[in-house]
Amino acid sequence: MSINAKQWLKLIHELPIKETVKIMNVCGGHERSITMSGIRGALPKNIELIPGPGCPVCICPEEDVYQAIQLALKEPITLVTYGDMLRVPVNVKKSDIKSLEQAKASGASVVPIASPMEAVKIANDHPDDTIVFFAAGFETTTAPTAAMIAQGIPDNLLLLLSGRLTWPAIALLLDSETPGFDALVAPGHVATVMGESEWDFVVTKHHLPAAIAGFTPETLLAAMYSVLRQKIENNYFLDNCYPELVLPEGNVWAKNTINKVMNVVDATWRGVGVIPKSGFELNENYRQSDVNVHFPNYRDEARNMAGKMPPGCDCAKVVLGKRYPNQCKLYGTACTPQHPIGPCMVSDEGACRIWWAGGLRESV
Amino acid sequence: MCLGIPMQIKSIDQFVARCEAKGVERDVNLFMMQGEPVEVGDFVMVHVGYAIQKMTEQQARSSWELYDEMLSSLEPNVEVGNA
Repeated sequence: MSINAKQWLKLIHELPIKETVKIMNVCGGHERSITMSGIRGALPKNIELIPGPGCPVCICPEEDVYQAIQLALKEPITLVTYGDMLRVPVNVKKSDIKSLEQAKASGASVVPIASPMEAVKIANDHPDDTIVFFAAGFETTTAPTAAMIAQGIPDNLLLLLSGRLTWPAIALLLDSETPGFDALVAPGHVATVMGESEWDFVVTKHHLPAAIAGFTPETLLAAMYSVLRQKIENNYFLDNCYPELVLPEGNVWAKNTINKVMNVVDATWRGVGVIPKSGFELNENYRQSDVNVHFPNYRDEARNMAGKMPPGCDCAKVVLGKRYPNQCKLYGTACTPQHPIGPCMVSDEGACRIWWAGGLRESV
Repeated sequence: MCLGIPMQIKSIDQFVARCEAKGVERDVNLFMMQGEPVEVGDFVMVHVGYAIQKMTEQQARSSWELYDEMLSSLEPNVEVGNA
């Protein structure tokens, strides 16, 4: 018989936890479940749950968003992208267009989509038009993009590829002197695609407890119980608390598809900087679909600077788990879901947006 | 864009399945399921229109219940999308 959330909470409260333990998650879906189900407030006071770099919209490089906006404004193309990307602001003068949403309002052809299949359909339905798919996202989104390409895409569909691997951001934190957490809850659907072994390094290299979780309160609490017990017993291992979907090797077909069409490259994360081997580019067999081949003058590397969030915005620290959303002085004052300043308040995966939706209205 | 939706397969035409979740039907791409073939009636976890793994009916129902709870707790002017 499975253990319900109440029973997991009882088990956690019975653990002899003497010191503060900081548990980081690296998935917007996890943070949403934690916040909406009230797990944070139901745990013992000395357990902190820290939202880490789990929002692909938030860390999408500012220069990529800027490039998408400029392409949409200046070229006779239709730009398609996930709905979350439309409101992400770039750092420009007040009088300039600062989001894809504003570009659309000014007449640019910008179309929100929910699936790569829609990008293909739009390209097939408009064979005389050039369609640019601005494809941001982590592994769960990049694998479908790779599948779309591997299945064959029309010549008039081009890619602005901004996909990212999740684990290198955690590796970056752990390699730093101040990672800011004592245990990791690893993302269930990223691991479903990439396999549980991708997260072994947290235990083997950095000697921290780790557990993969799904998205119900039960599986999240099971993972939290696991890492806390590992810490108490000083016996660390990667626990898979989502075994119904996460296989040791992941979805091998999906991984092979990514490897077939993309190379892993060093890549910029907004607010963080360059993280080695954390991004993707189309490999030589598919490079003809790269938007930069067809429109080479829109890549402004001068914009590529670490920590480039909007002025006054603490998204960079929020993304890295160095600051809670409500510790940003803009939270709930200048920055709200209706008028977002930083990307963490824009995206449904952003910690600020999730905390706001969860009812937290005041900064501290 | 990271929200996974469990769906049940109603029909399959090569790599595209017609799938259903709580009365809503969508086309779902099965390209990444070639290592673990699926059949009509199976449940799959779907990300941005692509199935990434098979799952049981019980697991699908647990996820739907979670989403129902989260949606009901949201303020009316905040959207939860699966973009």
